[in-house]
Amino acid sequence: MNAPPSRLIGGGWRLALSGLAAWAALGGVATAQTRVTLRVNPTSITFPTADPDVAPVVTAPALDIRYQVRNNGGQGWRITVLASGDLNAGVSVIDIGNISWTATPTPPFQAGTLSKTLEQTVASGFGNVQQPQMGTLLLQLNNLWSYSIGVYTQNIVFTLSAP
Amino acid sequence: MVRGFTIALSFLVSTLAAGPVFGQAASESNVVTATVNIAPLAKLNLSALSLTFPDTNPDTTPQVAAASGPLTITARARATPASTVTLTIRALDDLRSGTDVIPASAVSWTASGNGFVDGTLSAAADRAVGSWPTSGLHSGQQIFLFQNSWSWATGNYTVTLVYTLTAP
Repeated sequence: MNAPPSRLIGGGWRLALSGLAAWAALGGVATAQTRVTLRVNPTSITFPTADPDVAPVVTAPALDIRYQVRNNGGQGWRITVLASGDLNAGVSVIDIGNISWTATPTPPFQAGTLSKTLEQTVASGFGNVQQPQMGTLLLQLNNLWSYSIGVYTQNIVFTLSAP
Repeated sequence: MVRGFTIALSFLVSTLAAGPVFGQAASESNVVTATVNIAPLAKLNLSALSLTFPDTNPDTTPQVAAASGPLTITARARATPASTVTLTIRALDDLRSGTDVIPASAVSWTASGNGFVDGTLSAAADRAVGSWPTSGLHSGQQIFLFQNSWSWATGNYTVTLVYTLTAP
């Protein structure tokens, strides 16, 4: 209390400098880890069997997609889908490009066609999605006479990434 | 008083200089398994269900074409892999008019369309109309010809033809 004011001020600057030094040692940034949550339900879908003349396109049960993005600042986020391959039944193959989808709500969701080589965008946006949101996808298969008899399966991978 | 002010100020300056940084990449994936069950299925469509050969002079028209023109056939089939889809025709009998008979073999056809073949009717055996190595939709035409002859007795002859599409 009896020290000169100039000395008190000098001590304060020393503390400030030491704080900056510690800050720099940590990388000089205040990092907030981006957190994303994705839940796709159900985890398996079956396209109905139908006469191609009656139903040239068959629709699988709806996929519910719940997602949440936090600590993302104003940066972008994206939900993508990538097939692990074509639909396979032994030696028989149905090109995965025969499956397309429609989605709601648009935006952030969008329609598209599956690919086994390039991730396709299912939904996208910017910033945070603080409260869990949900979209619905309807996958549709071109029902062609040229398909051979068999039970075909394939995994499709949905990924939510940010930024 | 003065010292506390200085510390608070230094923290604020530091924060503003660096700023909160977002965007350490994060991602999460879910896998969905898609299943498609393709069941056996075969459908056959003929453009007409009856054929009529007009009465003509055998000297001027030894081969009489059906009055209704070409018969269009659409065969749709889903088969097992590496199997052959076949379409056959068989006459259930010879052409008959009361007690008079014209052999079924008096009727033949020429075919057009991928996988379709020419042939002659038989009451004793199936005759190939077409075959295909894969599932699919196959369309073609048959032009039926009746072998006109002076030896046929007058009458109104009929026979039933059965088409069979097989997708193993």
